[in-house]
Amino acid sequence: MLSSKTKYRSPEASAFYTAGMILLGIVVLAFLISLFWTPYSPDATDASAKLLAPCIEHPFGTDNFGRDVLSRIMSASKYTIYISAAGVAIALILGTLAGIPAGYFGGYIDKGIMLLGNSIMCFPGILLALVAVAVFGASVTNVIWALGLVFAPTFARVCRVGTMEIKELDYITHARVMGVKPYRIMGFHIFPNLVPQLLPATVIGLANMTLFESGMSYLGLGVQPPDASFGKMLSDSQAYIRVAPWLVIFPALMLVFYILGLYFISEGLRVNLAKGGKR
Amino acid sequence: MTRHIHIVKVHHLTLSFPTRNDPNPKPVLDDVDFGIRDGEILGLIGNSGCGKTMTSLAIAGLLPENAEITSGSIKFAGKNLLEMSPRERRSMLGKDIGMIFQEPSTALDPLMVVGKQLEEVLTAHKENIQTKEERHKTITDMLELVGFTNAEEIMNRYPHQLSGGQRQRVLIAGAALLKPRLLICDEPTSSLDTVTTVSILQLLKELCHNLHITILFISHDLSVVRGFCDRVMVMRDGKIVDRDTASDILSNPRNAFTAELLTNARLDTRIMGFEPIKVDYTKDPVLTATDITAGYGRRLFERGKNKDEKADNKVLHDVSLKVYPNEIVGLIGGSGSGKTTLIRSLLGLLPHSGKVEIKSPRIGVIFQDPVSCLNPAHTIKWHMSEALEASGKANEIKGEGTYKERKAKALARITAVLEICGLGEEHLTRHPNELSGGQRQRVAIAMCLIQDPSLIIADEPFSSLDASSSAELLKLMTDINREQHTAFLIITHNIHIVRQIAPRVIVMSNGKICEEGTTSEVLTNPQSEATSKLLDAERQIHVILPVQN
Repeated sequence: MLSSKTKYRSPEASAFYTAGMILLGIVVLAFLISLFWTPYSPDATDASAKLLAPCIEHPFGTDNFGRDVLSRIMSASKYTIYISAAGVAIALILGTLAGIPAGYFGGYIDKGIMLLGNSIMCFPGILLALVAVAVFGASVTNVIWALGLVFAPTFARVCRVGTMEIKELDYITHARVMGVKPYRIMGFHIFPNLVPQLLPATVIGLANMTLFESGMSYLGLGVQPPDASFGKMLSDSQAYIRVAPWLVIFPALMLVFYILGLYFISEGLRVNLAKGGKR
Repeated sequence: MTRHIHIVKVHHLTLSFPTRNDPNPKPVLDDVDFGIRDGEILGLIGNSGCGKTMTSLAIAGLLPENAEITSGSIKFAGKNLLEMSPRERRSMLGKDIGMIFQEPSTALDPLMVVGKQLEEVLTAHKENIQTKEERHKTITDMLELVGFTNAEEIMNRYPHQLSGGQRQRVLIAGAALLKPRLLICDEPTSSLDTVTTVSILQLLKELCHNLHITILFISHDLSVVRGFCDRVMVMRDGKIVDRDTASDILSNPRNAFTAELLTNARLDTRIMGFEPIKVDYTKDPVLTATDITAGYGRRLFERGKNKDEKADNKVLHDVSLKVYPNEIVGLIGGSGSGKTTLIRSLLGLLPHSGKVEIKSPRIGVIFQDPVSCLNPAHTIKWHMSEALEASGKANEIKGEGTYKERKAKALARITAVLEICGLGEEHLTRHPNELSGGQRQRVAIAMCLIQDPSLIIADEPFSSLDASSSAELLKLMTDINREQHTAFLIITHNIHIVRQIAPRVIVMSNGKICEEGTTSEVLTNPQSEATSKLLDAERQIHVILPVQN
């Protein structure tokens, strides 16, 4: 029936938001608490408590050096969030700065920028990031820059297409006739209208960035020991997967929570924007 | 099939958009109660935002999700539509209820040829068992019925290769393919020029008689409704305020609101108290354009198809025109005559040969579409200050002083200009989507005015506004013309408006200026074929020709 369906404003979107917020909230809460307090020091080894199964003292068990898994997960969330957020910020800034002019001016500027973007995109992203890290050395900063560069073309494309659509609209023509300068048109007239498209792209970018970071840490090129990230913890624990499955389960679960949470939020944004666009 | 006197009976329908903050808002449709008789053409008129479209969407079952029907019922051929499942209602769409929308350019899939899209209509309804050949035959027959002589060729064309009128014909063909009993037309002619409008209305009338289709015709254009509809209903603020046969309601209105609508539709400047403007033609013109030739590059498809043909892709050929200070010039012509291309060239948005001389540093411009003329991301205040900054006169107005004083001076200027345009301070913090179409056009004019231009070019500013807003906008433009001494170049397909306010008129056809002179002379004694064609169409719109059959 019509009326029963129309009670709420987009119930799908709010369901996605709630689920996403809960999942993401777990990871963010762990991160926030880890800033002030962890049950044990994340790097403190204890030879008498190696590979302990989850118990009262160590709710998530201990690893092969006797380090508390809960404390390590909490501190690992810091790196995961930091790397994905900083990487996306770089990708977003570079992508926007390249994509809007490409879409606005068109012609050779567009061709040049998109050629550069496409040549980055035609390599597998992780390979490119691996090469960059291999050349410049494995450190968190290098990983962030490498991932930022790899992800920039995606944002550039979103911006370019959006700009091409918007620049044909009357208010942009009007601004041009009024004599507004191109950089101002791009920054103040076009960019605010791209935000609805960039928002879901950013959230998905965060999730993808985390997966990449985990992959690189897993390969030993990301976060360096003794620091922990979710991917690093997974790669370290693969040898013990039969005797101490909790070493794999808990970091993997956190990774799933983080990424799934982000995806749900982006899905909620998408659904909501799609609904909002309708009249 | 049983015949009912009323094919659709809307019974005390009330509809609103409840939100979380406001669970009981003012209803959009308030106790709407009417019937559509079988085989008639029912006109539904009223200003924008009065609930015309919502009524039609409620009948078709296409209401937005957040709309809620609080009371009433809609019966179609005796069955209550509101008690049907969404599945049943969907199967009725197209088969029993057809719909045509305002904008023919967005209603067709740009990547599908016309024939394929029409076939989609047939295949979407499973009970319609036909072979491919039969479907092809049905479609060609229908295309011929809607007036295409080259149906086969049209079927293989993409929408962008058709003109606006042709697209609207294709849409009508699509809607009529399944021979629905009710056809809802939501402002089908408001984006078309006069000549095309006449032919589309004629076609709809023929369909109504030959295929026995009932038509619900929604419009804000009273002149269109006059000769076309059997009965007319007038809506205001979600209520039906008046209903009668078309001839009665339009020649002898009993309701005060209907009378007001009619007055506005006439756009009679003598009633509104205008006087013709005195123009001094000895002064230097504000705009001089000489020998403008412009065109677009050839399209991808055309490039591939006729390689050998060296088609002339120029839209404008050696166009010269002058606009004098304090003058209102009308520029008329059918669609495709190159009016918009000329404007784009004059504004410097399109590469062209020839010379354009403008006396003031800025010319203002107002566009047709009030939806996209303002940036949805910003407030009205931002729009105005942006225009002020861009004019390069911001510092002059702000003068010396602290940041706060300068800001206050700029704001004072903005409010003053907005007030000229009939907008108050309360509009400053609003976003464009909180304003009506007429108000948005006013903001667009205010943005031009704050730059202090000597000429404002208006590209079809009236065509998407309802009669009342048009009348107000027209009044505003003439006021500005007299008080600020701004010249206007008004592009329109509404000859009536030109006759009322423009002392001089230019007629364009096929990219050339074919006639130019004082309005009274050109329109009473047309010298060119194009002008007489336009005048004919205007005359016909009031008296749609009787159906030949």
